[in-house]
Amino acid sequence: MTRILANIGALSLLSMETVGGITIVFMRTLWSLVPPRFDRDETWRNLYKVGVKSYPIVVLTALFTGAIMVIQSGHYVRQTGATGLLGWGAGFAVLAEIGPVMIGLMFSGRVGANNTAELGTMKVTEQIDALRTLAIEPFRYLVVPRFISMIVMLLLLTVLGDLFALGGGAITSELILGVDYRVFFQGVFESHLLDEFVTGLVKAITFGASISVVSCHFGLTVTGGATGVGRAVNASVVTSAIGIFVLDYFITYLTAG
Amino acid sequence: MNHPSRRASTGRVVVRGTNLTRSFAGRTVLEDVSLALEEGEILGIIGPGGGGKTVLVKMLCGLLVPDDGNVEIFGQDLFRLSGIELQALRRRYGLLFQNYALFDFMNVGDNVAFPMRQAGGWTEDEIQARVQDRLTEVGLPNVRHLFANELSGGMKKRVALARSAVTDPEILFFDDPTAGLDPVTSSKIFALVRSTQQHRGSSCVVISHDIDRMSVICDRYLLIYEGRVHFTGTHTDARESRDSVVREFFHGHGTAGRSQPGVR
Repeated sequence: MTRILANIGALSLLSMETVGGITIVFMRTLWSLVPPRFDRDETWRNLYKVGVKSYPIVVLTALFTGAIMVIQSGHYVRQTGATGLLGWGAGFAVLAEIGPVMIGLMFSGRVGANNTAELGTMKVTEQIDALRTLAIEPFRYLVVPRFISMIVMLLLLTVLGDLFALGGGAITSELILGVDYRVFFQGVFESHLLDEFVTGLVKAITFGASISVVSCHFGLTVTGGATGVGRAVNASVVTSAIGIFVLDYFITYLTAG
Repeated sequence: MNHPSRRASTGRVVVRGTNLTRSFAGRTVLEDVSLALEEGEILGIIGPGGGGKTVLVKMLCGLLVPDDGNVEIFGQDLFRLSGIELQALRRRYGLLFQNYALFDFMNVGDNVAFPMRQAGGWTEDEIQARVQDRLTEVGLPNVRHLFANELSGGMKKRVALARSAVTDPEILFFDDPTAGLDPVTSSKIFALVRSTQQHRGSSCVVISHDIDRMSVICDRYLLIYEGRVHFTGTHTDARESRDSVVREFFHGHGTAGRSQPGVR
């Protein structure tokens, strides 16, 4: 019994330490943005690395996500003949929910993990200490550019992903269900899904901020060499995924009413 | 030991560590360590591996906060400065890390240019010219396009040396600049440390186990043993010392090697 209580206590302390550390990184990032004090070259480098190199995987994920939405709906569409609802169903799910969440998870797995590994490696090889001795504040040089890049690029990638998800849905409805793609898009546009689209973008911005802060926190707190970097990457991906679902819940709850 | 080409120390203290104590996970690594580095001087820090030499240098640079004691650089208490004051002070000293700490996302040229670009005040042409000069000085004039993972250990050390000295800092800290290098490369690195100090007039702290090569460049030594300052003085003082630990480190015989020095 004592052992169980001790484990619960240790887990609680670890969770609070993690949440506290993430909150400090977030607050310091916001502090550095007023007025903006960060390295522009490093921001451009990160925008390229985070965004341009991520779009193929986002496009691929989005195409299949849209297609899966349509296939799932296919059974009911065939039974009821309500082909006009196909565009609405897929559009609603993709724009408000599946699109930002799926792309956020892919982004977390690719960019967040990479970021934690990069910062963690810099920490264990004393590159972050080297920045300090060169009179460079590592937070402004490393964290703020990544925060900005991940928010901007996840927003843009979500817009791109939405387009390709709807494209994937249209192709699938035409090829597999025999529903003309024009009927599919007519369903999307006539459903007035602007609110869902905007909600999806709000989620993308929030997920981008969350992934950047979480991945930077775990990267900067690595201890124990290569093994420590591996552990940090693992913790970063898991925590980012939890963060995405928790934030998704609250944003959905707040916007649903 | 004669040092005919060395610049004379002015006697003005540029770095002062007072009663520095630091523990890790309940183990005292350094206890009550005090030292002073004079302007234009090269101070060698020696001691057994794991004995806290790197910890000491990191405290002197402000990378580690001591549990007790304080560090003054140019009379300013390092741990009482604001962030902006500390940044301004850090532009006046450089550190060569034991494991190079080259930025692996930059090539050699950008690594060496990085401190100048961040400090500002130089045109890009001036930066490029200075970088080329420094790389030539360390014997690597044609590697600026290479990345750290394409260099050997000795080349990385020389690039790191060029980077740490590129802005002509007034104080240079060298953390085991020849660790893991062959004797020929070690000699070259020590020669570079000496020429850097002579040309720029910097004050230097050098950690190393290589007493023979250190004796060519160091004015004074500080021996850290069992977490405390065991000896401080010149090579001549060490040579004449009857202390077994000092004799062990400087002449390779005595009783220190039979004890378990280092972390207490």
